[in-house]
Amino acid sequence: MERPVSADSPLRRAGRRAFYGPQDASSDYDRQLGDPGEFPYTRGTRTPRPGSERDGRGEAILRELSGEGSAQDSNAQFRYLLEHGATGLDVIGDGPTVLYMDPDHLHARHAVGNTGVSLCRAEDYVALYDGVPLDQVSISHSLPSGFAIAGIYLAATRLGHDPAAVRGSTILAPLYGEDTGYGGNLPLELHLRLATDSMEFASERMPRFHPFVEDTYFISDGSVDIVDEMALGFIEIREVTRRLVERGVEVDQFAPRIALLVNCGMDFFGEVAKIRAARRYYARMMRDDFGAVDPRSMAVNVAAHTSGATMTRPQLVNNVIRGTSQTLALYMAGVRAMEISAFDEPIRTPSKQAHIVGLRTQQIVQLETGVADVADPLGGSFYIEALTDETELSIEARVKEIEAMGTIADLHSQGFFRSLFTEAMIERSSEIDDRSRPVVGVNCHRIDEAEDTLLRDIAEERIEPAYEIATEIGAWKRGRDRELLGKALATVEEAGRDTGANVIPAIVSGFEASATMGELAGVLREAYGYPFDPLRGSERPV
Amino acid sequence: MNAERTLRVLVTVLGLDQHEAGALAVSRILRDAGIEVVYAGRFNLPDSIAGAAVEEDVDAVAVSCHSWEFLYYSAELVKLLNEADPPIPVVVGGSVVTPADRQQVLAVGVADCVLAGASPEEIVSILRRVSDRTAVSK
Repeated sequence: MERPVSADSPLRRAGRRAFYGPQDASSDYDRQLGDPGEFPYTRGTRTPRPGSERDGRGEAILRELSGEGSAQDSNAQFRYLLEHGATGLDVIGDGPTVLYMDPDHLHARHAVGNTGVSLCRAEDYVALYDGVPLDQVSISHSLPSGFAIAGIYLAATRLGHDPAAVRGSTILAPLYGEDTGYGGNLPLELHLRLATDSMEFASERMPRFHPFVEDTYFISDGSVDIVDEMALGFIEIREVTRRLVERGVEVDQFAPRIALLVNCGMDFFGEVAKIRAARRYYARMMRDDFGAVDPRSMAVNVAAHTSGATMTRPQLVNNVIRGTSQTLALYMAGVRAMEISAFDEPIRTPSKQAHIVGLRTQQIVQLETGVADVADPLGGSFYIEALTDETELSIEARVKEIEAMGTIADLHSQGFFRSLFTEAMIERSSEIDDRSRPVVGVNCHRIDEAEDTLLRDIAEERIEPAYEIATEIGAWKRGRDRELLGKALATVEEAGRDTGANVIPAIVSGFEASATMGELAGVLREAYGYPFDPLRGSERPV
Repeated sequence: MNAERTLRVLVTVLGLDQHEAGALAVSRILRDAGIEVVYAGRFNLPDSIAGAAVEEDVDAVAVSCHSWEFLYYSAELVKLLNEADPPIPVVVGGSVVTPADRQQVLAVGVADCVLAGASPEEIVSILRRVSDRTAVSK
């Protein structure tokens, strides 16, 4: 398949010229750039206030990926981060949780609590957020979106916060997540349904919350390039937008709450250009393709998570330097909400020490370097503008190309996305093996394993699976009111079958009636003609 | 040893580990070296891996690890594959594997353990070496 990016494209680092001049970039300031806070938002979506990042009036949300063991353990971790200057949290579920599984699932047995927090019940969410100022701290959820929304909604209600004041977001595992390492064994239509229903639910009850964060990190890390990263992300946004509009929801009612969470790798200027191009493409797409008129519908908030795949197991301290370079790129691209992959990322979810280094990286860049003092500091650079123009055109061409090939559902069933991701993963590893992609410490500038000891003790500290959580949940499940549970599961299944209904309120009620995420996901699968548990590691309780 | 026989290796990931990049990369490396690869993909437990390994008559099983689950499944996987006739050797490897992990899995009978930074040649050579033992007894 022919890619829109030519072999000598500046998007390919090897194809970039030695220098760029006025002829390389568009000179139409109003059309292509505009001031920060103005259409097409290339230079940022907000009108900046001078020096605001350094005097504490800035918009920056500093957060680090967190969550480990039980909800109570993770709550302690959150309090520690907030005490050390974090202004947001990014909650990640453990292996089973991100896969819509309860901790007592057969496949979950050695994966509970050691790569994130174990959450499957309403009371888990309440314990997770106990004492956290939900109206002040922005909470990003790397958790199954529909369930995380139901969970935080319930937690806010029980902890005395108005859900309408809750800030934060929940990421959307890509619709093609089953093809790219985020398989929850859910049918595509159910993935879409959870996305559209979450958006509708939040637009009515949690207006400050971003219920739909298009997470292109999921799509890209370790595989596709920046053009496919963004093109595939936009294809999802377009599909969800079309479905909501078809359902009769006004585009300006939900579009302001769509956000992007992008990856950030080591191609410094490429990443800056990608973020600027993405803002511009999004603004034009919402206005021209979907008829948005509210400027907030066209100004997309871009957050970022730096690439875990760029972090290397050899010479762990090098990862601190990689994180710093990525943080600088993000600040220069105008990103004000980010997580930095921690230096121990190749081995584990972040240790306490790595958490602090990640936070300090952001704080040093924000407070000491001054790169965040002026909006879009690279704007007007011949090189950056040429890269931004080319990236936007390439994204646009790629979206058109893929949409012309078929619907997401058709392409998924034909294995299109699967082959795209697997080929990209293989290509990347080939580039490292044949050294066409230099990675310091891995394929060049190596040192002996015996000498490579710096930070190893921290990174290699093992977290044992929390077997006691599986035992506790198993016992708790046996003590539930089966009649109440049976009714709740039947109600959710019915809501799932009724495509005119919204399943999120049903999930909230299900949680309240002691159903778990694994069970609720199971009956929703059944509503869509799937088995309760395609892995056959759990059974429907009633 | 029959030098003419093409080696067959089952490549897989364990449990809920969804990171496939390593498994796909290893599959490519092995195929490029003339080794036949049976790719078993994600969501496998020791019994499903052992079942597939026997059914596909492979010479070795290679587990790509990007979660810690291999530490807890290795003994069970080795036990099941030792029951095959002839026994099928297991090799584990991946970026999360530390030197201490290597000692731990070798102690439960894993045939070899590949740490981060191993070259494609080393990976191929390890799989050829452990597979030859199977091929000899076949």
